[in-house]
Amino acid sequence: MFPRLGLLLHIAAMHLLVRRRQTLVATSGVAVGVGFFLAVSALMVGSQTDFVKTLIAAAPHIIISDELRSPSPQPGVREYGKTGAVELHGYKVRNEVRGIKDWQQILREIDAMPGAIGSPSLSGAVTLRQGGRDEPLGVVGIDPTIETRVSTISEKLRAGRLIDLERVQGGVIIGEDLAERLGLGMGDIVAATSARGVSRSLRIVGLFKKGQSGLGSGTGYMLLREAQSLLGRPFVINRLGVKLPDPYTADAVAKQLEARHGYKAESWQERSADFLGLLLTRNVIMYTVVSAILLVASFGIYTAVSNSVTDKRRDIAIMRSMGFSQGDLQFVFVVEGMALAVAGVIAGWLFGFALMTVLGSLEFPIQGEVRHLPLDRSTRQYLIAAAASLFAGIFAAWLPARKTALVDPVDILRGAV
Amino acid sequence: MEAAPPESAAPITPVLVAEHLERKLPGDPPVTLVTDIDLAIEPGKFTAIVGPSGCGKSSLLYLLGLIDRPTDGRLLLEGRDMMPLSGDERAQIRLRHFGFVFQFHFLLPEFTALDNVMMPIRRLGRLSLPGARERASDLLTSMGLGDKLHKPPDHLSGGERQRVAIARAMANNPLLVLGDEPTGNLDSTNSARVVELFRELAHEQGRAVVCVTHDPGIAEVADIRVSMLDGRICEVLRQT
Repeated sequence: MFPRLGLLLHIAAMHLLVRRRQTLVATSGVAVGVGFFLAVSALMVGSQTDFVKTLIAAAPHIIISDELRSPSPQPGVREYGKTGAVELHGYKVRNEVRGIKDWQQILREIDAMPGAIGSPSLSGAVTLRQGGRDEPLGVVGIDPTIETRVSTISEKLRAGRLIDLERVQGGVIIGEDLAERLGLGMGDIVAATSARGVSRSLRIVGLFKKGQSGLGSGTGYMLLREAQSLLGRPFVINRLGVKLPDPYTADAVAKQLEARHGYKAESWQERSADFLGLLLTRNVIMYTVVSAILLVASFGIYTAVSNSVTDKRRDIAIMRSMGFSQGDLQFVFVVEGMALAVAGVIAGWLFGFALMTVLGSLEFPIQGEVRHLPLDRSTRQYLIAAAASLFAGIFAAWLPARKTALVDPVDILRGAV
Repeated sequence: MEAAPPESAAPITPVLVAEHLERKLPGDPPVTLVTDIDLAIEPGKFTAIVGPSGCGKSSLLYLLGLIDRPTDGRLLLEGRDMMPLSGDERAQIRLRHFGFVFQFHFLLPEFTALDNVMMPIRRLGRLSLPGARERASDLLTSMGLGDKLHKPPDHLSGGERQRVAIARAMANNPLLVLGDEPTGNLDSTNSARVVELFRELAHEQGRAVVCVTHDPGIAEVADIRVSMLDGRICEVLRQT
């Protein structure tokens, strides 16, 4: 068995060596295919990972808000709803105070989950007034010690620290562009008025960088209890963010929390369903294009092996007469295709690695920061490219290799050259 | 094995026996290449098949060599019926027991003389690689090609190539050596040398040698001369 295998490999190697140019063309075809597969998929997977990471990091994994998915039943309905037709006169619709009232308890429950952190906040609208100019501000009341643990806000600060909110009475952090519009700087005092008519003087203790997604120019951060008093909603919050150790469990945990407490709990997946749908489409497009590249590369192998079979018809007949089986000869030509694919894959790995190195070294200045392309350089991509190319290569070689069976030794030996 | 021909003085068991062999090409009407062939090939004898062009002598050789399949009749190798064998089994028999020499040398152009001769040995796989190399090199040396072992076929003369082809045919020590116009492309000196080699294979090594030929030189020295006409055997002549 072993000398026979060695002999067949020897024959295949000689065929490839004799046809150097065709061997080179087929190999470089596969190499280019594999190289671009690696570069493109590294970019796509890398940017997707990067994007999802931003998506997850941009906001808490779960946001519990004071909305109810279905309106809470009115007392009249609760009382008589089930018994049938009832006519009520002078009935007043009950207005409940908006907000999550039992948030302390929900928070304790969340904090009891291993690795999970809950961050309560209250947001509302106020107006900043400075020198005859009014600017609306969406104020968010937070607990700075918790917030630094659950969000990336601190990274977005140009000046000041989140913890300064605790230290300065009436401290507020606003966007630097809003501050510019109002002609304010660090440490300046600005008057704020809420819709409830409460007025306060706020001192600017921090500034956000411009152009941060999810953080409009009209957002400001305050201490939770100061926001509660400014907005006239003591003790309540209207948002409870949850950060989980594994972001991908958010959907399940959100459903559980919502079922228990009735408040709307939205996971990041639910919030970004449209984006995630886009990513899916993008992946389908990518794999279609990239598979096409690999497929086209395997055409080169088909051509090379097919030509080899045609050229070697005489040799095939001779070997058949000598006592080689049809399986032997098919094997020889499939091995040729496989060798081309293997050589192509190895060259393609190097080419892809070089492409990624070049792409990775490109620098893009965005908003004064130097950014690099997000590339996923995991070995998984290399293995996928190799497996797909080998499969395509062997298949592309097997198709023409079957033609060896059609070679009739009698015809050829008789009428030969 | 038991089917010894009683009419012969020294009872020789034929190595290959053809019974009513027939080969037709499909068509309308079918073309008959050979028909009604009864022939016994004996070891230690040099058999020549002669006849005019198109009489079916090459077709018969391909049938005897298991390269082609008859449409009717039987073929027995050492008493074993070859008819029910599959393609791969026939290939194995060719590898083990048959050696072919064609009009054209039919060496594989990418391989050296030595590699060409080693090919059937390595395919059979009974010898190790060094063993195969030694056997091939001995065969080539015995044919006066000891200094040409590592030359590719296109660096050899016509006579040398044909001797390499004969060495390849001998590689697995076959029972039968089949030649299809083996001298057809050679000058008289080289022809004579090849004929001499074939006679040695038969008389000194005891193999059955069968040659299809136009060459009167071969026909004269053969032990048995089989004449064919229109796809049939018309005369079998034992020469002394």
